[in-house]
Amino acid sequence: MKPIVEIRNLSKVYNQGEIQVTALDNIHLDIECSDFLTLMGPSGSGKSTLLHIIAGIDHQSSGSCKVQDLDLSALSESALADWRNQNVGFIFQSFNLIPVLTGFENVELPLLLTRLSKKERKRLVDTALELVGLEDRSHHLPKQLSGGQEQRVAIARALVTDPALVVADEPTGNLDAESAQQVLEILQSLSNDAGKTVIMVTHDPKAAAFGKRSIHLEKGRFEKEDVRAS
Amino acid sequence: MTTASFILRNTLRNKRRAMLSALSVAVSLFLFITLQVTLRELTIPPEDIGASLRIAVRNKVSLAQPLPFRQLQKIEKIPGVEAVTPFTYFGGLYRDEAFTPFAQFAVDPIRFTNVFLEAKTSKVQMQAWIKDRGTCLVGVDTMKRYDLKVGEKMLLSGTFYPVDLDMKIVGTYEGTLDDRNVFFHHKYLDELTDDPGTVGTWWLRAGSAEVAPKVVSTLNETFANTSAEVRAESERAFQMGFVSMWGNIKMLIDSICTAIVFTLLLVTVSTMSMAIRERFRELAILKAIGYRRHELLAFILAESLFLSLLGALIGAGGAAWLFSVVDIQKLSGGMFIFFEVTTKMLGTAFLISIVLGVLAGIAPGWSVCRMSVVDGLKTLD
Repeated sequence: MKPIVEIRNLSKVYNQGEIQVTALDNIHLDIECSDFLTLMGPSGSGKSTLLHIIAGIDHQSSGSCKVQDLDLSALSESALADWRNQNVGFIFQSFNLIPVLTGFENVELPLLLTRLSKKERKRLVDTALELVGLEDRSHHLPKQLSGGQEQRVAIARALVTDPALVVADEPTGNLDAESAQQVLEILQSLSNDAGKTVIMVTHDPKAAAFGKRSIHLEKGRFEKEDVRAS
Repeated sequence: MTTASFILRNTLRNKRRAMLSALSVAVSLFLFITLQVTLRELTIPPEDIGASLRIAVRNKVSLAQPLPFRQLQKIEKIPGVEAVTPFTYFGGLYRDEAFTPFAQFAVDPIRFTNVFLEAKTSKVQMQAWIKDRGTCLVGVDTMKRYDLKVGEKMLLSGTFYPVDLDMKIVGTYEGTLDDRNVFFHHKYLDELTDDPGTVGTWWLRAGSAEVAPKVVSTLNETFANTSAEVRAESERAFQMGFVSMWGNIKMLIDSICTAIVFTLLLVTVSTMSMAIRERFRELAILKAIGYRRHELLAFILAESLFLSLLGALIGAGGAAWLFSVVDIQKLSGGMFIFFEVTTKMLGTAFLISIVLGVLAGIAPGWSVCRMSVVDGLKTLD
């Protein structure tokens, strides 16, 4: 089966004045469907940059990144936005919910870009919230939720469009151990049970242990790869 | 949730700031409307049908120079002239007022009624006025303002003329553009000043709007190279001559209005930029989950437009309502009569608010469009 993500000779160089900083250096990577890949490494190792390029919110300086057999760098800004809306679910460290919207409305936000009816949108939002166990908190504002609940709403928002790819940038960084455990279990279940491809950036080896394989980056290069027995 | 309710929720997320922004627009547009109404009140030309037929004749040297009474015979013979009356401004003060808000004119009562056809008065009162040169006709607005009754005395102290008028009110009139004036017998003024040979101006009525220009040119030609050359012009042109005296005030008011709009623009741009800067990360998230540049720009413009239009509704709408219920004539001591907010003024105010909303939204909207998702996510990290 063809990998969902194919990265070849990928490099990313930032120009900071006259200095060039290499964030990613000649990366090769294949990610299969339903994989749960964790990217680890110290700050500045390039793991978030790699995640951003795979998710279509950043571009490489050279090399190629194909997701679902699509060369993302060839897409226009608008086409890329549409592609992200339909194919990628984002989960961030600081949840990034819209504070004036309820949990339900935050989850509904990506669906406003679709042509779904209100009824259909409601069905999808309810399903997503049910999946993360927050159906009873759907009408609370983010400030009325705990950190763990906020992150679960963010996961529901990431899942509501039924994307093939879920990218998570340190999703447990702001959570207590119990909430982190819940979030990681959900991500694991997305890969194992729902067939989603999950890519997660983390500093925490315990969190990385939930993935099927881990890649360690150092100065923009792959240092080592751990594959866990399923 | 709909896109509209999402925009509304974002606009009102900081209610105090949103209200203060809308109020700053409201106060400025209220001021703008007030200045525009004031300017219009000061410069409004007469628009009634009588005004298009009426012709004012004054001394070519200046309005302050009198004209000889003997011109009457020649004027009456000019083809197209239907009626003519002497019309002399008295400029008296009433009841020791520092400023009397109504004008007084010496006229020939019979000739006057043929020139100012729209002035409505009863036959009985008109006869009483014509019969007695010690009487006067007072506009209904002045009667109301001073709570005057027919039969009462009207005493006026002269300022231009070194004489005082002591007259009996025998009638009232209404239906003219300005129902505040007082009209009295020219012969009474002649007696008091002991000068039966001069008048301030002549006012006449042409037979039709078509012949009026010809009458004007004939009048000017008739008295050319005489000891009292005249300047004849339509009533509208005559009034606009007064308006031109307000030239600097007009420029001043226009300058203030421009300053108001410009200041308003700076305040609104600053407020919108602040509101958007605080939400850069949220907007980056929206971009990440699939919102396109033009959609985010539309959100920001909609927020900005909503606030400025709300301000216009409160400010311009409030001004229109206030000036329609408050007796401005009384408040201004009779200086302003109508003080009417026109549709054009309201349209201008709302147009300003739309332009303002768009301009205020463009700068922050543009930075959001240019922002990459990654940079946006970093801004508040």
